[in-house]
Amino acid sequence: MSTPKHTIDPAELTRFVSDKLLGGRAIAADEELLLSGLVDSLGVMSLVAHIEDVTGAPVPMQDVILENFATINAIADYVGARA
Amino acid sequence: MDFALPEQTITLGQNARKFAQAELSADIAQRDKRGAVDTADWRPLWDACANYGLLGLALPKALGGGGHDIQTTVHILQELGYGAPDGGLTLGLGAQIWSMQMPILEFGTEAQKADILPKLISGDMICAHAVTESHSGSDAMALTTRATKVDGGYVLNGEKVYIGMAPACDLAFVFATVNPDHGAWGVSAFLVEATSDGFIRKDQTQKMGTRTLPFGALEFVDCFVPDTAVLGKIGAGNAIFNRSLEWERRFIFTSQVGAMARMLDDCVSFAKTRDVFGGPIHTHQSVSNRLADMKLRLETAQLMLWRAAWEADQGAWDMARAAATKLHISEAYLASAMDAMRNFGARGYMEDAEIARNMRDALGGITYGGTSDIQRQIISAALIRS
Repeated sequence: MSTPKHTIDPAELTRFVSDKLLGGRAIAADEELLLSGLVDSLGVMSLVAHIEDVTGAPVPMQDVILENFATINAIADYVGARA
Repeated sequence: MDFALPEQTITLGQNARKFAQAELSADIAQRDKRGAVDTADWRPLWDACANYGLLGLALPKALGGGGHDIQTTVHILQELGYGAPDGGLTLGLGAQIWSMQMPILEFGTEAQKADILPKLISGDMICAHAVTESHSGSDAMALTTRATKVDGGYVLNGEKVYIGMAPACDLAFVFATVNPDHGAWGVSAFLVEATSDGFIRKDQTQKMGTRTLPFGALEFVDCFVPDTAVLGKIGAGNAIFNRSLEWERRFIFTSQVGAMARMLDDCVSFAKTRDVFGGPIHTHQSVSNRLADMKLRLETAQLMLWRAAWEADQGAWDMARAAATKLHISEAYLASAMDAMRNFGARGYMEDAEIARNMRDALGGITYGGTSDIQRQIISAALIRS
């Protein structure tokens, strides 16, 4: 089993959100995702699964809050803070 | 892939079926008619299930549970559904087991789990799931019940409707917003004791099916709850709700799959003994086709349930597959209940008939836990994103 990673590349995350969740729409790393309605609940679950795949570490559901998932930068900060 | 159940699991299932037939079946037609207004009509049965250990099957032994895996739990509850012709009771049990206890196990503090789960398992406490409001059905997170921060806790104000066990609950699993400007992301979950000031259990509401399950509304009027009543983090209500729903959509119909098997057996027996035009009705192709369709639905519902149980034991989550499981089993249950009505003819249409009660019970299934429309929307959205 590989060692869990405590970083995630914001550029890679940006590509995932743009390609998989927004149908190719460009997205900035500091653009609001949740309150804007860009990403819905199902999209957030896809995002959580992607982060778990990339980092090899589970994302506890109670960490899935606005503070941690509002922007791509916030997600990168959250993953980094889990170290 | 091995579909053979362990011998011990089969025995546990057989025992649960016998228990249900012996303890949960009496006077069902009259209890259904009376509609759970009188506590004596349902509480002894709930307590019997608790004493049998059904509410704690999948919970840790350290908390008073049975320590079973999900696959074993599902088999036992399915057999319970075969034996118990009481769809209201099995729905109520399923809701507390899957939609309330499992999220409390996952998101609760050690103190919350130690305080609450043993009481829910033993039947000393009954929990109600308070999310729906009169203007926020399928769009559940558009709720308006407000949780206002005060010293030492929160004050709740709002009304919740269409809640199983609301008139009788000791505890409510309440979703309320701490920040309406944040929509779903402003929602938090609270475990609110019914003894709290401002916790109001409204009068019982009657429904056309699952009538043996108490049902109604709750109102919170300046209801103070301490900080220790928050489940998970503040703002995690949306995530907790989705997890709760995923448990519900996978397994709320477990006992109803057992009921589908019972309905099929009843229809086969009837088709072999009921004669028309000089022979048993199963010799008529319209009837035999319906029996085959009921068997097919039972098999597919069973397979989806088993897969969901296997996935849950792996710790895997998939909102779209949970939606597909709920959609298929609820619609299959309803379609088979309808086929049973056609097979039984007029005697199935009688008010006290079990066939008619199954039909009324099954109709609710296409609404609670998210309507079939919503499940299709979730499945489709996942397909588009894949």
